[in-house]
Amino acid sequence: MEILVGILNYFVFFSITAGIYAVVTLGLNVQWGYTGLFNIGVAGFYAVGAYTSALISGPPPGSLDWRVFGGWMLPFPVGLLGSALVSALLALFIGWITIRLREDYLAIATIGIAEVLRLIIKNEAWLTNGVWGIKNIPSPLLGPIQGAVRSFIASHPGMPPWLERLLAGAYDWFYLLLVLGFLALLYFTLERALRSPWGRVLRAIREDEVAAAAQGKNVASFKLQAFVIGAALMGMAGSLYAHYARFLSVEKFEPFYGTFIVWVMLVTGGAGNNKGAILGAFLIWGLWALTDFLSGYLPLTDVQTGALRIILVGFLLIVIILFKPRGILGEERFVSRLLR
Amino acid sequence: MPLLEVRDIRSGYGDMEVLHGISIHVDSGEIVTIIGPNGAGKSTLLKTVFGLLKPTAGRVFFQGQDITGLPPHRIVQLGMCYVPQVDNVFPSLTVQENLEMGGFILRGDLRERLERVYRLFPVLRERRRQRVGKMSGGERQMVAMGRALIMDPSLLLLDEPTAALAPNLVTQVFESIQRIRDSGVAILIVEQNARQALEISDRGYVFVDGMNRYQGSGRELLADEEVGRLFLGG
Amino acid sequence: MGPWERLPQLFAYGLVSGSVITLGAIGLSLTHSILRFANFAHGDLMTAGAYIALGFLLVFQRIPALRGHFGRLSFGPAMIPAFLLALLGTGILAIAIDRLVYRRLRRARPVMLLMLSVGVAFVLRNLILFSAGADPYYYSHRIQRAIHILGVRLKVDQVFIIALGFVLVVLLHLFLTRTRIGKAMRAMADNPELAQVTGIDTERVIAWTWGIGAALAAAGGILSGIENKLITPQLGWQALLPLFAAVVLGGIGSPYGAMAGGMLIGITQELSTAFISTAYKPAVAFGILVLMLILRPQGLFGRR
Repeated sequence: MEILVGILNYFVFFSITAGIYAVVTLGLNVQWGYTGLFNIGVAGFYAVGAYTSALISGPPPGSLDWRVFGGWMLPFPVGLLGSALVSALLALFIGWITIRLREDYLAIATIGIAEVLRLIIKNEAWLTNGVWGIKNIPSPLLGPIQGAVRSFIASHPGMPPWLERLLAGAYDWFYLLLVLGFLALLYFTLERALRSPWGRVLRAIREDEVAAAAQGKNVASFKLQAFVIGAALMGMAGSLYAHYARFLSVEKFEPFYGTFIVWVMLVTGGAGNNKGAILGAFLIWGLWALTDFLSGYLPLTDVQTGALRIILVGFLLIVIILFKPRGILGEERFVSRLLR
Repeated sequence: MPLLEVRDIRSGYGDMEVLHGISIHVDSGEIVTIIGPNGAGKSTLLKTVFGLLKPTAGRVFFQGQDITGLPPHRIVQLGMCYVPQVDNVFPSLTVQENLEMGGFILRGDLRERLERVYRLFPVLRERRRQRVGKMSGGERQMVAMGRALIMDPSLLLLDEPTAALAPNLVTQVFESIQRIRDSGVAILIVEQNARQALEISDRGYVFVDGMNRYQGSGRELLADEEVGRLFLGG
Repeated sequence: MGPWERLPQLFAYGLVSGSVITLGAIGLSLTHSILRFANFAHGDLMTAGAYIALGFLLVFQRIPALRGHFGRLSFGPAMIPAFLLALLGTGILAIAIDRLVYRRLRRARPVMLLMLSVGVAFVLRNLILFSAGADPYYYSHRIQRAIHILGVRLKVDQVFIIALGFVLVVLLHLFLTRTRIGKAMRAMADNPELAQVTGIDTERVIAWTWGIGAALAAAGGILSGIENKLITPQLGWQALLPLFAAVVLGGIGSPYGAMAGGMLIGITQELSTAFISTAYKPAVAFGILVLMLILRPQGLFGRR
């Protein structure tokens, strides 16, 4: 029974992270899947969202911290919206400069941006505390929920241990509901948006930019909108991450964790398909967790297992692009199959 | 036996069929011209013969051998060369380098072959170290044709060789084409300058909407009233 | 010493790092103009070259006759075969990757190839990480003293790097202008469809492109290792931004432009350290990259 509870708790933890990644992937789907914008700088917007939320809703600099800025302990929703806003503004600024670039140039530009942001996070300790990271980021409603659980346990002394253990993880249950709820809201909003006239223009642009422009659509403006919205989603995912992990450090936003794995998620699930984006996120994160679990059985060093797991994911991306480029679910169909 | 024989070729781009069953032939040492309105499929035929497009039906025979569907570099080896209408030179290479590229698959010395081309087009010898990108349209056309001739082909395919050229250059190009034929090369031309092309041709075909509507000797087609009215500007 | 007085010295350092960047940028430019996609795994080819050389170096240093070092240089006879074999090995590696991965998508959109190359980059880098570990390796532990040349101080190694870089560039130029394959590479860069029509064996030219591009990248990686004394698996990935900046600055489609771009990026990066922190050197490269993309996307010498 204890084991079951342990598994369940792990599953909750897994699903929260997968869900957060699903939000990032949905953001990338808006940019790439629907508009054809090749953004290899996902990690940048994700990181900016996380740090912004930490600075808005997080604790003030401690005595040991290098940073001198931020930490206003504002409520979580403010942090969430703040992260969306700052990521969006950043995307607006960057996009305004680069949106007219050809696909591969845009890719190069976005990777540069992510790199510059990473350098700033690492070096401007007055803002981000540099490599020491930001600690003790509060989780929303942590106190009240844990307090309620504690008093419930205290008022039921005869409770079996497994139930106690189950209830101890109650906060994570709450956070999971929060993430899933947000994800669901996002999914339905995006689905509606993409079936709207606005969404149709985006898809037209991805198919044939020149034709869309010939129809009088301001292509650059639409691309920018998609870019900004995608970035805002990535930023919000960052906020969700920050308030769950409660600690931010630069490693979690390295190119692999912040960008590459998201691309693999999207391509695997099916670019151009919101369901695919979410499916891909859960599948790939599941694969990642599985490899983590299995690697314990291999006689390799930590560095080697880490490298091996990344090789596996990279390999997967290559195989999918070569043999099943549309991913598992393929593109979303907006027109009935019966219509020819 | 004809040098080139095309039997009932159907070909096109993707789902769109442009040629609906074309049959033509070219004999050794003759100049054959295909004329017709835009979109009739003239260039499509050349590309299909040369292996740039795969036909959906029909066969292409060259020197008696079935070459349907063979890739271009194999066809070049068999003795047929193709000069596209646009982008038919390498702009950042010199004249000589462009010609050398024509003989890329050949082992050994290209000097004799280069000499032959320079004799045919003396202007190129003067300018052989010039970058082709800086040359005029007429000179570039000569480079393009010269490049195709390095392989000493038996059949040369020319896609609108006088397109976008000034009238005096057009005459020059047609003169060069005749000289090429005189050196023993058969030539299949697709042309918009129909009258002048037919004047130097042994035979001609008129394509309309992907089908072969008229054929005959150059003189016959020039004299034909209907052909004259529809395609030769009266 | 104020920032302005340091400029000549920094300029000299710029020539050194510029040489390394140039060697990487040329290969990147060649594959971009002939294969039509931006190869994000190119930096990792530099890393691969550096590590392959290291492997051979360790082997050859076991032979007593090859130990030691040339005069004041930090390396000795053992480095010569190691260097040459590494260039060959990295060239073969690149051709193998092309056969296995990129060849299947010859006619695909450049973005798909780009994505593939990102995957290849991660796989390659982590294979190196897996085999060699994350700790840096040293080509040499020799401490060098600087010599005075033309008013600046440089280590003999650094002078060597500039010289070898120059020699390799000249060799490449001769290759591109005097050999049939070299000319065919330039022809394909101009017009791949026409190259096919002309009868050029495009697959053979592509194999040569990968071989030469990768060999130059390997040379850059090894020289980078000699310059910094140590190599890590991140060597190439970190160089990617300056490499792209160099190619864009010089002009897409022009390996000569990439040479100029490489030197300019190297010099500018070093000069910038007089005014801003060295940690932001890649940001300087990036800034130049963005500036070029906005103001003059075809680069200084590019045509497309």
